[in-house]
Amino acid sequence: MTAARDPSTAYVAALGGAPVAPASPQGGWLERYEHLVGARTLRALEALARKLKGHRIVMVNTTKTGGGVAEILHRVVVILNELGIQTSWEVMEGDEQFFGVTKKMHNALHGHTQPLTEEDREVYHERTRIEANRLALDGDLILIHDPQPAFLIEHRREPGQHWVWRCHIDLSRRDESYWDFLKPAVARYDTAIFSHIEFVPPLTVPAALVPPSIDPFAEKNRDMSEEEVETICERLGLDAASPWITQISRFDRIKDPVGVLEAFKLVRTRRPSHLILAGGSASDDPEGAEVLAEVRENAKGVKDVTILELPPQSDIEINAIQRASTVVLQKSLREGFALTVSEALWKRRAVVASAVGGIPLQVLHERTGLLVRSIEGTAFQTIRLLDNPELRRDLGTEGHVHVRDNFLHTREVRDYLAVFARLLG
Amino acid sequence: MDQAPPTAVSEAFTFYTPSPLESPAGQVATDMQSLRDGIAACSEASLFQHVTRMPVRFPHAKDVPENDFARWAGDQMQMPEVSERLAFVGSGSSASFDELREALLGVLDRVQPRERKREAPEGGSFYFIEAHSVLAPLGVDARTPAEVIEVWPWIDLGSAFYHLVEAPLYGTSEHALIPWLREHGGKTMADSAEQVVRSSRPLNILLKEVGSRWRRSMIGRRLIERAEAPELERQREARAAMARLAGRLRGRGNKG
Repeated sequence: MTAARDPSTAYVAALGGAPVAPASPQGGWLERYEHLVGARTLRALEALARKLKGHRIVMVNTTKTGGGVAEILHRVVVILNELGIQTSWEVMEGDEQFFGVTKKMHNALHGHTQPLTEEDREVYHERTRIEANRLALDGDLILIHDPQPAFLIEHRREPGQHWVWRCHIDLSRRDESYWDFLKPAVARYDTAIFSHIEFVPPLTVPAALVPPSIDPFAEKNRDMSEEEVETICERLGLDAASPWITQISRFDRIKDPVGVLEAFKLVRTRRPSHLILAGGSASDDPEGAEVLAEVRENAKGVKDVTILELPPQSDIEINAIQRASTVVLQKSLREGFALTVSEALWKRRAVVASAVGGIPLQVLHERTGLLVRSIEGTAFQTIRLLDNPELRRDLGTEGHVHVRDNFLHTREVRDYLAVFARLLG
Repeated sequence: MDQAPPTAVSEAFTFYTPSPLESPAGQVATDMQSLRDGIAACSEASLFQHVTRMPVRFPHAKDVPENDFARWAGDQMQMPEVSERLAFVGSGSSASFDELREALLGVLDRVQPRERKREAPEGGSFYFIEAHSVLAPLGVDARTPAEVIEVWPWIDLGSAFYHLVEAPLYGTSEHALIPWLREHGGKTMADSAEQVVRSSRPLNILLKEVGSRWRRSMIGRRLIERAEAPELERQREARAAMARLAGRLRGRGNKG
């Protein structure tokens, strides 16, 4: 089937051939990974990929830029093609109305309930019908990312095709009425993939677990010289001489920024240190603005606290702040997977984090970081780390190794290949 | 010398690389009693994921972390003594699934009845997972034990673990390397590999140790071969060895 396509998405939808990735480095991504994960790991990936030779994979999501899924697809699609698996990437388009409905759906599946009206359903189904006619979904395996394009299967599944639904969001606190809406579509897939076992709802199809991963070459994670770190921090006005304790998270109650502040107050009574609470701008999020105001109120009169509102696309700043920090905190009350922890571990930082959600998969207590359950525990473990450079170094080193083995894109690609091979092999 | 002559190609050992496909196993533990019930009922693939696979999940760790059950008992249930016991009984990667299950249940049966029903903190439940390996041929075969030594540096960590631990545990005898070595005259190699596997070391160390033990075990045979080789060939090999050594020393000097 051929379809009219927005020229701006043409590079991702290179039907029948390797997509022209805008950021493919000379020699390819796999070559760049070789010095990180080793040639033997790449040979194992190639072996698995050989099982899929001749098959065509189509990835589908709803945006080519912005957001974690698009970031991952930019890399994974290129890596799959480098491995010899013909993989294309289709972007489902929609108007404001459609994305209004899918935003509501996204929030409700995260637990923020808003009623799904009959009109919402109509808008959603109508756009799905239009896009089902337009998109090039003629691969052997179609991998649909997230709920927005989930119903394409009802219109386009061909005999002999395999369809896989990849859910990147945390469904553990889902609004059941939205899940009831989505369930009939998910039931038609061959497999559903989730990031973490706690996110898996009751299903009638097999589930697979594929944790998310980080890109070690992205601006947020790439290596930086000390001079570069210093320059960026100076530009942000961060020049505290005492050791930095940092939490980078949006201003959201579940990230417990007030709890972080309380823990810091306890630390500050015993050790000189400086707290940096950095997060995304709260200007377009009423609750975020409220939490930020609360944090500022609580920080009044507390010495050595910097609260930073970072604009979107502040990846390089986040990278520099994490690298300049002595201790990185993730004192969440609830979490999804919390990849920010892997990002800090990748930079060999000493991490103190709550034992919730996907954090214990990344922080193995006393091995790759320190797990805590209370404000006092956070203060205690932070002081331990401030006092003990060897412990910081050991945890940071093991944390880096753990992320290299388990949370880089090459591992996520391997997991996808295993799912594909199980279905197609 | 236990080296057998090369066997027929049909008896070659083919190396596979496994990719673990993880999925929910169904059981959820919210206290020590339900952990016990879960372990009693779970599949072998679940015991494999939570206990046996630890070396391959943390292949480059300084030492292999305690298994998931032990870590949960320690981190979430705050029961260090039970955690230690679970860690110990789960640390022998060559134990059969029946032996492993029995040993884990033995530890949990010793938990005081009043402690068994104490609930995990909110968000601290233990979800059982299964791991099934999807296999792909690495494109590497060995026809003799000596060839296994030659190809060993090409074998990835997952593949080594699969052929030394996973395949024998699941009774996939055609993929079990140690029995194959025995059958093909590599008894010394098989014994030393078995010894290393039993030590439950981190996988990257295990892989290196197996390789170096095997290479050492071949020194005698190589000496005999060299002694029997023509003079010219021996001189050429000696010069090449000296050049390699000099290269290594130069490299070390540069680093220093």
